[in-house]
Amino acid sequence: MDKTIYLDVKRCVGCGACVVACMDQNDIYPEKGQPANRRVYQIEENQDQGIDICYLSVACQHCEDSPCTMACPTGAIRRDAATGGVAVNKSLCIGCHSCAIACPFGVPRYDAEGKLQKCNLCSERVEAGLEPACVRVCPQGALIFDNANSVQSLKEAAAANNIARIIRTQGDGCN
Amino acid sequence: MSDVQRLLQGKIPGAATGIEVKKSICAICDPLTQCGLDLYIQDGRIIKVEGSKENPYSKGTLCSKGASTRQYVYSDDRIQTPLKRVGPRGEGKFEPITWDEALDTIASQLKQIKEQAGPETVGFFAGYAKFFRPFLKRLAHSFGSPNYMTESSSCYQAMSMAQKLVFGRPGGPDIMRADCLLVWSANPFHANPGNGRAIQNAKERGMKLIVVDPRVTPTSALADLHLQLRPGTDGALALAIAHVIIKEKLHDQDFVASYTYGFDEYKEYVQAFTPAKGEELTGVPASKIQEAARMYASVKRAAILPSASSVVHHTNGVQNYRAVFALAGLTGNYDVLGGNLVNPPSFIHTPGLIPTREHDFVQSRPWSDMPPRIGADRFPVWMDIIDEEAQAMHLPEQIRTGSPYPVKALLGFGLNYRMWPDSEGFRKSLEMLDFFVNVDIFMTDTCKYADIVLPACTSVERSELRCYGAGYIVFTQPAIAPRYQSRSDIDIIYDLASRLGLDDPLFQAGLDASIDWILEPSGITAAELKKHPAGMFVPNPIKPQERKYREIDFATLSGKMEFKSKVLEKYEDKSGHAALPVYTPPKYSLEATPELAKDYPFILNTGSRLPMFVHTRTFRLSWTSSLRPNFPSADMNPTDAVRLGIRQDDTIRIITPKDAVSVKANLTGMVQPGVIHMYHGHQAADVNRLFEEDYLDPLSGFPGFKSALCKVEKADERVVL
Repeated sequence: MDKTIYLDVKRCVGCGACVVACMDQNDIYPEKGQPANRRVYQIEENQDQGIDICYLSVACQHCEDSPCTMACPTGAIRRDAATGGVAVNKSLCIGCHSCAIACPFGVPRYDAEGKLQKCNLCSERVEAGLEPACVRVCPQGALIFDNANSVQSLKEAAAANNIARIIRTQGDGCN
Repeated sequence: MSDVQRLLQGKIPGAATGIEVKKSICAICDPLTQCGLDLYIQDGRIIKVEGSKENPYSKGTLCSKGASTRQYVYSDDRIQTPLKRVGPRGEGKFEPITWDEALDTIASQLKQIKEQAGPETVGFFAGYAKFFRPFLKRLAHSFGSPNYMTESSSCYQAMSMAQKLVFGRPGGPDIMRADCLLVWSANPFHANPGNGRAIQNAKERGMKLIVVDPRVTPTSALADLHLQLRPGTDGALALAIAHVIIKEKLHDQDFVASYTYGFDEYKEYVQAFTPAKGEELTGVPASKIQEAARMYASVKRAAILPSASSVVHHTNGVQNYRAVFALAGLTGNYDVLGGNLVNPPSFIHTPGLIPTREHDFVQSRPWSDMPPRIGADRFPVWMDIIDEEAQAMHLPEQIRTGSPYPVKALLGFGLNYRMWPDSEGFRKSLEMLDFFVNVDIFMTDTCKYADIVLPACTSVERSELRCYGAGYIVFTQPAIAPRYQSRSDIDIIYDLASRLGLDDPLFQAGLDASIDWILEPSGITAAELKKHPAGMFVPNPIKPQERKYREIDFATLSGKMEFKSKVLEKYEDKSGHAALPVYTPPKYSLEATPELAKDYPFILNTGSRLPMFVHTRTFRLSWTSSLRPNFPSADMNPTDAVRLGIRQDDTIRIITPKDAVSVKANLTGMVQPGVIHMYHGHQAADVNRLFEEDYLDPLSGFPGFKSALCKVEKADERVVL
């Protein structure tokens, strides 16, 4: 299974370092009308007392069975052989926005020439054995570059640890 | 695409691409925990940045500001050459001059003013960054002026003052070993990400987290308990927590009996602060006050993480923070592992676990050999407690009134008048100076008032010495040549010292020799440090030791931890400063000024950090500003907005009796109903205009930026703003 980028929502604090690191890596300049490949959302939820907030850093999910690839009429969206990510060949893109319609996450954005622009999983970096720029910069370790099952194992181990601590301090409720 | 093209596309360093990685540190923000930078350089130009993995603090990561280093360094707004003003002050008309002409003019002007009016009439001011501070302080004192001032006149020093009044020596939170962390109005996730990461990691190992903050933040979101108080009521909350701790006998009775002064009077005073009274004064439910007191006081090791400015940006700030820090004494959590541990500073307020001669270096002339510092009459406790500098909040008034003595000239490094309350007033005071020099990276509005403007370079273009709490030290080397004719602030200081003809052997010996002299007790040399461009761990780090007060008295007048301050006892009659940490509401508040509150019903709370900005330093970058569209804006609770018919991004006017600013409304539950929060320092909407010049804490001189009164109106949409 290929590695891709995961977000530990509990650790994301919405600092935006990932957004900027991506722009620095990929020479994206907002003042030239170039859209970011990654965005951060602050979600507020009303509670009885005040609000709860959480943050999400989002970009292309590099779906295994990607709807954008299926929707693209010109074959501009392909699976990258080296990383397994969803890659764009801009020279084939006709700017028809079919991928925007197909993508369930609202990810596709279009550059000043109207062509699809999105995260390419930093494929050149990954091939060179480096992490994607957003993962490398994240000060909270919220973005993780790994394969799905490894990420799940980490999550599971953390949950197990938590349960063990609760049992140690509060008992298992069976006594 | 060829392999090399792909490598170039990915900015992969190596022989094939000719991309080289050089080391530096980021100083866009300056929390004294500078993040390490890996600069990807191609043909002498930075093409990308990353965090240095060697750096023990940032561990290879950066925040959005540091990640924007390339835009910061290559900004079109960089000042390119020394400039001489040719138009009226403020107009911004300058003419390029040579470094020789600029520095000779400055030296001759300063010498002339010194001869005619005295050295004390020349002020030396250090804004951001902090790396050149020891050298500027030495320059001021070697010149003969006591008036070395810094931006710490509105950040850090009042927090330090509160701690020094209680303990003598401040202690920092030992987060790694704490069982409970009481974060008192700080949001490290947006101000100091390494501390944020330390909190997340500690939380994962089971540390309890209490967050006191009037706002909802990522830190409060992580808390076991969030005490969302009304701005400026911190003292009342701390006293109510103390009430519960004492009543339930959760305090450290041995510590209190052996090592404290004034406990009985303090105990008597907190009697009135029942949880119900606490709720009434702060808005925090009584049950949460009790829960917090039990959580903090019943674990073995509990630490307090303060903020350098939030609590002390109130007119009652120092007294409030004294009440907070008293909790560490009450529970015996002062100077213990996992509590607030005392680590003496090595260099620029940072404990590097090495002995140095910084103090001797910076204090090249004793205070007693110089006239009183600016602010001495008005803030005597500052002069008693704060050894480093003058209180710059008094500067605008002293320029204007010439009392107790005139201020004729100002040599500013990164001086920004928008830092002061009544910023417009200070702008006007600047016009009254005989001679004003400002050194900056960018052409700011403040520079436009200077007679001479000098171009400073950024951290990646210079050398600087920094220590880290982990026992790490770095002496950076320029990763790229300084852009245009810019120079390091330190080079400018040394060059000026020479042209001023100061009889100062260390200035004459140069920077490396000065660093060798400062670091001499540690055995580390500049030459050795240069071999480690990303820094190195110090040899023989001082091992952290707890309860040092058992051997060495507290550095207070009583020699003990003081619930009741002996320093303040001296001023109790004359200045009315209470010796106990007495709670009074903010100067302008519903409680203190109910009549004013009728017309100005909102609490104005300003200057909390946003993750992408640090003061004014990254407003101009498209990468950081893209993270916060529709800026400048003010945060407003949606319930207030509905009541006033205000929608997201509507233009609103924030009005105080002093002035008004127009900004976009940002509707968010991060602020409580009844509170308006606004970020500071923006050219298009400078919120500090709304504060009076003397809206200061009478103890510290710190401005009350975090609680005043205001009203809000939806701006007339026909008016072009």
